[in-house]
Amino acid sequence: MPVRLACRLGGKVRRAFGQLGSVSWLLGQCVQGLFRLSREQRRVVREGARNQIRFTALDALPLCVLTALLLGGITLLQVFSQLSAFGAERHISQILAQLVIRELGPLMVGILVISRSGTAMATEMASRKLSGELDSLYANGVDPVPYLLVPRLLGGIISIFALVIVFDTVALLGGFLVAWLRLPVSFSFFLSALGEAIGQRELTATFFKCLVFGAAIPLVCTGFGLRVKRSTTEIPQAVTKASVVSLAVLLMAGAILSVLIYA
Amino acid sequence: MPEPILALEAVTLIAPEGRAVFRDLDWTLERGARFHTRGGAGGGCTALLRLCAGIAEPSGGRVVLDGTPLEPGTPHPFLQRGLLGWVPSDGGLAVNLSLLQNVVLPLRFAQNLGRAEAERTAMGWLEQAGLEDRAGQRPAVPGDRESWVASLARAAAKGSRLWLVDRPAGGLDAASIQAAERILGQAALDPDVTIVLVGGAWMSSLGQELTIGNGRVFSGVEP
Repeated sequence: MPVRLACRLGGKVRRAFGQLGSVSWLLGQCVQGLFRLSREQRRVVREGARNQIRFTALDALPLCVLTALLLGGITLLQVFSQLSAFGAERHISQILAQLVIRELGPLMVGILVISRSGTAMATEMASRKLSGELDSLYANGVDPVPYLLVPRLLGGIISIFALVIVFDTVALLGGFLVAWLRLPVSFSFFLSALGEAIGQRELTATFFKCLVFGAAIPLVCTGFGLRVKRSTTEIPQAVTKASVVSLAVLLMAGAILSVLIYA
Repeated sequence: MPEPILALEAVTLIAPEGRAVFRDLDWTLERGARFHTRGGAGGGCTALLRLCAGIAEPSGGRVVLDGTPLEPGTPHPFLQRGLLGWVPSDGGLAVNLSLLQNVVLPLRFAQNLGRAEAERTAMGWLEQAGLEDRAGQRPAVPGDRESWVASLARAAAKGSRLWLVDRPAGGLDAASIQAAERILGQAALDPDVTIVLVGGAWMSSLGQELTIGNGRVFSGVEP
């Protein structure tokens, strides 16, 4: 019994490392592909990345703004009720800023991108593979790695950066609106408190989280999409796995980065 | 004697269900050869084309294309230069691109043509294919037959040296046959261009007959 349990645990660990390995391999292929591009290929990749940014960032803006506004307001309400019990309402903007910028912003944007674009990428790759489109691209001289993966990787990183900036700004403004309704705070006081709360570490954390999340989501999702073999019934399974694994990667990478930067 | 454009050396291909499609198959394709194939469904015609294009990986043996073995996961210079005209039965076009963009893509990506020049070349071949009015449509709109013809136009636009053309999924109507004959006829003007056309009885004037069946490939009718 203990041996069987150990075997099962070992199998899961091995599979997890296998997945990590395949994501790293894809990343390596993308980086290699990026540096080998000719001038015209760079143009094609740039067009692909632009499309990806439009879908991942621009089309997601309304949802991102709505989520940020509501989350900023709700977070402030919750924090306010706790702080007011200790008479520490004046620290509200610092706490809100740190909470949103350090953790909530990148995490919520990551979840939005997984649910909108990550699932779409996994579905698209799986469908293209099953229909023989990838084979056809390869046989006709279009390497699928630089043509399909590199734009998604670049688009993912740029989009997450852009969305996190929008999310953080709107969430803080949403928080200010709620604070302004309940407390005698001015916008200039709110801004100066924010300035004190946001330092080098917050910016570093945001930068690394955007970079890691922006790279991990497209790589994990396209990787799972490319694993389908024969049947269309594999597509929903691949999409589910892609979203679950990329969410797990997001949470783990976020936690590791937070510990490394703030601990 | 010039090196053959393609050589299959002791190739074994096992189908997913475990059946051997080819076992220790040796076959060479000389430069400038033109074949149209015989062989019913399941005879291995498509499998042979997929092997030759480096899409199907042999279980044993090796495929040598233009003097360099095809190896899985390794870019092949002949393919990278866009010299293979791969025309699968459904056309193999990207569904999110228009017919024009599909023809333009390998010209820009594999042959480094600028966008304007690639579009001019692609449009010229789409006109040959009778698809100039549908150039802006995505493959799903005109349908399988037109996608297959557009795929022929793509192969022609690239100046493919080796054409591997599978039979179209939905059969051909008179207009499509005319367009295909026009494009293949122009490609065949170059004596170095090699063409293998599966199920191309409608273009028997193209060249010799190739029979594929029972795990073997040979010219002419089965002895």
